[in-house]
Amino acid sequence: MRRRPGRGLLVPAVLVLLAILDWVYMGTEQFVNALTIGAVYALIALGYTMVYGIIELINFAHGDVFMVGSFVTYWLLSSLGFNGTISDLPLLVVVLVGTFLAAMVVMGGIGVVIERFAYRPLRNAPRLAPLITAIGVSFILQNIIQIFFGPSVISAPQVMDVQARVNLGGVDVSVVKLFVIAVAFILMIALQTFVSRTRMGRAMRSTAIDRDAAQLMGVDINTTIAVTFFIGSALAGAAGVVQVLYLGTTNFQLGFQAGLKAFTSAVLGGIGNITGAALGGFLIGFIEVNSTVAGFSRWSEAIVFGILVLVLVFRPTGLLGQQLGERA
Amino acid sequence: MESPNGPPPKYPRRPPRAPGEGSTSSNGDGGGAITADNSRTRGARERGGDAHETRPYASAAPASAAAGAVDVKIGIELPLSGADLPNGEPTLNGVKLALAQIPVPGFNVTLNVQDDAVNGVHDPQQGAKNIRTLVNDASVMGVVGPFNSNVAKAEIPIGNAAGLVQCSPANTNISLTKPEFGAGDLRKTNPDKIAYVRVATTDDIQGAAGADIAYTIVKARKAFVIDDTETYGKALSDQFVATFTKLGGTVIGGSSHGVPKSGQGDFTSLLSLAKKDSPDFVFFGGVTATGGGLLRKQMVTAGMGAIPMGGGDGLSDGAASVKGSFLNLAGDQGDPNTYMTVAATHDIPNPTKLAADYKAMFGAEPGAYSASGYACAQVILEALKNVGADRAKIRAYVTDPSHSYDTVLGKFQFDKNGDTTQRIISDYTFDPGTKDWKFVSQKDFGAG
Repeated sequence: MRRRPGRGLLVPAVLVLLAILDWVYMGTEQFVNALTIGAVYALIALGYTMVYGIIELINFAHGDVFMVGSFVTYWLLSSLGFNGTISDLPLLVVVLVGTFLAAMVVMGGIGVVIERFAYRPLRNAPRLAPLITAIGVSFILQNIIQIFFGPSVISAPQVMDVQARVNLGGVDVSVVKLFVIAVAFILMIALQTFVSRTRMGRAMRSTAIDRDAAQLMGVDINTTIAVTFFIGSALAGAAGVVQVLYLGTTNFQLGFQAGLKAFTSAVLGGIGNITGAALGGFLIGFIEVNSTVAGFSRWSEAIVFGILVLVLVFRPTGLLGQQLGERA
Repeated sequence: MESPNGPPPKYPRRPPRAPGEGSTSSNGDGGGAITADNSRTRGARERGGDAHETRPYASAAPASAAAGAVDVKIGIELPLSGADLPNGEPTLNGVKLALAQIPVPGFNVTLNVQDDAVNGVHDPQQGAKNIRTLVNDASVMGVVGPFNSNVAKAEIPIGNAAGLVQCSPANTNISLTKPEFGAGDLRKTNPDKIAYVRVATTDDIQGAAGADIAYTIVKARKAFVIDDTETYGKALSDQFVATFTKLGGTVIGGSSHGVPKSGQGDFTSLLSLAKKDSPDFVFFGGVTATGGGLLRKQMVTAGMGAIPMGGGDGLSDGAASVKGSFLNLAGDQGDPNTYMTVAATHDIPNPTKLAADYKAMFGAEPGAYSASGYACAQVILEALKNVGADRAKIRAYVTDPSHSYDTVLGKFQFDKNGDTTQRIISDYTFDPGTKDWKFVSQKDFGAG
């Protein structure tokens, strides 16, 4: 917490400047693409960083929670009989709200169950044990989905009209993408408010700083950790809904790569740090789109991970470091 | 096989075979083999064995067999699960149909079926493992497969070292056979004894055929090219670029844009990039499992649905009703504007008979490679008829450029690299009525 004065503003100022330059460089459409991809990574990265912050576990199953979220969305929408765009606006709003709520609650619940049965028994075990367990949970989730939905790529109903455009300053921008970005921002602001303003948020922060001391102060550790898993997994569930709305496809292996990118985002921003995870997600979205725009689509992954290596060499705690006060 | 000295080949850990030992040893993985006795194979591995033994394979088998038919097998090495199932299954069925229709007197021919799909996608390592399994099954006389070029790349050296002939119904990559594209590296152990032939023609023609469709049928002049960075896709795209440019068209950016499959197939930003240059054709070098269907779907999302898209036979995996197929993923938007080529003959000499027989046996229409699978089986069975159950002789017979085969695909020979002399490419387009691919035309790109 010994920060030099002015440092707090320097990083955001540089980032905003870079973003503006990038906007000019690649134009509005690609800028929106980068924000959209980044929003999905950021939503998943939040779950990684929250879990790491509170129990120092790298939850490798988290990417698969996102994948299951997309399948819950697919299952829900197709069993309700939707198979394409809903043109009736009130109905669309009801369906969207309902889908997000359902996917988030279901995935939150699954997250709590995973924590209760896979991680809690190992809470005081050496750190390698829960890590391996997390990889095991990842395989279990993938296999369950493969058994029920098969290994093929699945075409899921896109209830929003993917071709709808709005005119923003002379450029037609996809409505779905704007919606995705808006949802991500609303959820992130809600999370930040929850962690910094509520009683449970305070319990999460105190548990993150010192679990034993928090317990002595009367914080119910088990409940707090369960709530952390619920929120992190619910956000991954929301990202799953977004995946279906935006790309309209999913498959049982979706979680691996998405999880890897999201984990990278969390590390890039400073794992354990909520703002850092969101920032890292957007950064990776921007790096990917920029490398495509520059004609290096073949190398986009190498560039993403190359930058991660550079950041870690020069700033091992990630861009924003572990600001303990915000850690959850 | 009788490479006299030099380092011992890595793969065929064949035991010395005692004369009179049964001819029905089985595969280790229990694929689709009829006999389930794998104890001998296991024992053989434990004993180690000398790969330099002069005659490692069971040429003595027919003689030692009791009265009645000798059990031999054709190995099947195809992707048979997941997203690749719509490719592998109709091909396998083509082989089954051939076995049912072509009697080989004195032999009882069954299959040893190996699946190279891992988690639903064809996998080179699994393919290599499967070929070793088939090599270790002494009753396997020849192999039909693989389906995918990158799998073939992993398998050819193993088959070459073991002298087990492989006939691919679908591989089209140029580097698998042509020495000028590096095929020599794949048959280092026995450079003069190729063990790999194919009835499909090569990508340098398929990519060219795609460019031909784009330029002459669609009348496109400005193409955007994407590949999946795999062996098959990259080569296809590169050939498309070369031919399309030669015909007088422009390729945006001058080359193909690679999108690794691991990128979840999010083509959004690449398509935004493409849109700026307003292409009138988009070519995809790749297969459905590496993003073909997703690309078409996202083209529609990006407002590029009216732009025709083309690809190779990697998109040929069944009607829109087949879950996970290209047309299924492209969705309702799979419009008349999609094209693909298949390096195979559509108008085979007697298509209605094959289709009718196939339907009677499997209750479905044949796939794009059913006839090719059938033809591969014909080639191996003909060799078996002529030289008996001897792997080395079968390999020599099949790969001899002077032998001509009269198959369901028509008459052809294999050249000295194992490529077919029949170089026909068929063009297909989406038919909104049947929601399936519809044959447009076929063109023989001639020898050489």
